[in-house]
Amino acid sequence: MNSIIELHDVSVTYPNGQSALKAVSSVLQNGTIYGLVGANGAGKSTLFKAIMGFVQPTTGYVRIAGKQIKQALKENLVSYVPQTEEVDWNFPVLVEDVVMMGRYGHMGFLRRPSKDDRKAVSESLDRVGMSDFKKRQIGELSGGQKKRVFVARALAQGSRIILLDEPFTGVDIRTEDSLINLFRSLASEGHLILVSTHNLGSVPSFCDEVMLINKELVAHGPVETAFTEENLIKAFGGMLRHHRLVGTDLHKDEDSRSVTVLTDDERPLVLYGEEGVEKITQPGDKT
Amino acid sequence: MDSLVAALIEPFAHDFMIRALVMSSLIGTVCSIFSCFLVLKGWSLMGDAVSHAVLPGLVLAFVAGIPLVIGAFIAGLFCALATGYLKENSRVKEDTVMGIVFSGMFALGLVLLTKIETDLHLMHVLFGNVLGISQSDLIEAGSIALICSFIMLIKRKDLMLFCFDPAQANVIGLPVKVLHTGLLVLLALTIVSSLKAAGIILVIAMLITPGAIGFLLSRSFGKMLIIAYISSLFSCLAGTILSFHMDVATAPLIVVIQTVLFILALTFRKKNRSQKGVQHVG
Repeated sequence: MNSIIELHDVSVTYPNGQSALKAVSSVLQNGTIYGLVGANGAGKSTLFKAIMGFVQPTTGYVRIAGKQIKQALKENLVSYVPQTEEVDWNFPVLVEDVVMMGRYGHMGFLRRPSKDDRKAVSESLDRVGMSDFKKRQIGELSGGQKKRVFVARALAQGSRIILLDEPFTGVDIRTEDSLINLFRSLASEGHLILVSTHNLGSVPSFCDEVMLINKELVAHGPVETAFTEENLIKAFGGMLRHHRLVGTDLHKDEDSRSVTVLTDDERPLVLYGEEGVEKITQPGDKT
Repeated sequence: MDSLVAALIEPFAHDFMIRALVMSSLIGTVCSIFSCFLVLKGWSLMGDAVSHAVLPGLVLAFVAGIPLVIGAFIAGLFCALATGYLKENSRVKEDTVMGIVFSGMFALGLVLLTKIETDLHLMHVLFGNVLGISQSDLIEAGSIALICSFIMLIKRKDLMLFCFDPAQANVIGLPVKVLHTGLLVLLALTIVSSLKAAGIILVIAMLITPGAIGFLLSRSFGKMLIIAYISSLFSCLAGTILSFHMDVATAPLIVVIQTVLFILALTFRKKNRSQKGVQHVG
């Protein structure tokens, strides 16, 4: 099955004249985890909305598996996991009700769930480890549990493309790790996973490719080649905290390698090595 | 005990009371269903706005000689759509725009009402007159209420998803714009059907309070609907019968009963919460 997102020269200008995206072109493939990285206001949410057909591009267009967005949505090709702040947690719905919402597109006029729908819901809840909580009202969950419910909804929908808006915000480390493992296995099953994040440090640990945006597409490519200090500074401008510790700051012997720490607020990105050939280091890596 | 039964049965000896009871239970039904969506969508002010805005529509429909409900419906929907349009195309916030549009339309309606000779009584327009409902009023308003209730019930899941998470509604291919406009049309129709019985001012309470009671006492949408419906129907029937015996205005009494139920729900919820809170620590 073919599930490719094509962005052709997509620009979005809001009615108040504010430009949110400028001429973004790219192609996203199956079986890959993409990190969409940019500062707040860089157009991450707008790009998501353009892919979901929630805003119309002012110029350019989006194709999903070669189809118009409307058609692609009707065929349930796209699912979406919203940011935690966008959800009304006081809303009177139970966990299982929320996951069932992922199935509405598969149901008839009256939205009466079939056996398949119920099965998809319980399997999805199992997969994120939330089966024991299915009768909870959504406000009664912890941050990580809340996130997992909405991931289960996306799974229940059965789409090949899954968009996640800041999935690691307000989530504990254990949930973050289990979500990353889940994304990896979904990608290996052929899903296209697009994750927006401003959490730079976690990008190398789970993304195959990275898209850096700052209204325009600054860079798009494999993490090793595109996720560089130069591109990050282009994407974030002056908004990053930037610390470079060169050899002479650290010790007196002849070692010209330097440590670079890039961070906005969460897990920092650490680059280490000779200037120009620095490597991304992960906690626990031995360089 | 016998006197209580007699008090309950006595109103049914009068045709106007039977009509009043049928009418109030029909609008109690439609208002309670809509109130669930209204409360969850955060549209209380929208309900307020649309109901005030129908006034010029009533007067102009009278002048034009067309059914009042049509004038009221057009004016109410115009207010809702104009608010949406002005919000999109100016830098003024939605509640500001809405406040201007509906109070302007309401004022225009009052000006027209004082200038033009009509058989509309201001008190009845504002506060309703359920005991004076005619057979034709009952058929007209009652059928609107029934149709709206039916549509909202069969489409409740789509409307609920639209209120909860419009982005998800969109992403599974539901027509979000149609749902949005449809909900506004249903709001205008619900208000129009309740005008004769509850009036412009009091219909707002009937459109908000049952949903709020249901919201306080439930954890799922289905239960919220049922609780809202029961509390609304109870208030409408009790209010109509009591107003007959006490010789007071009907719609205000219904609203007073609903408000009392809301306060009871609020205190019940508080008590329940603080007991539960102990178990949930940790």
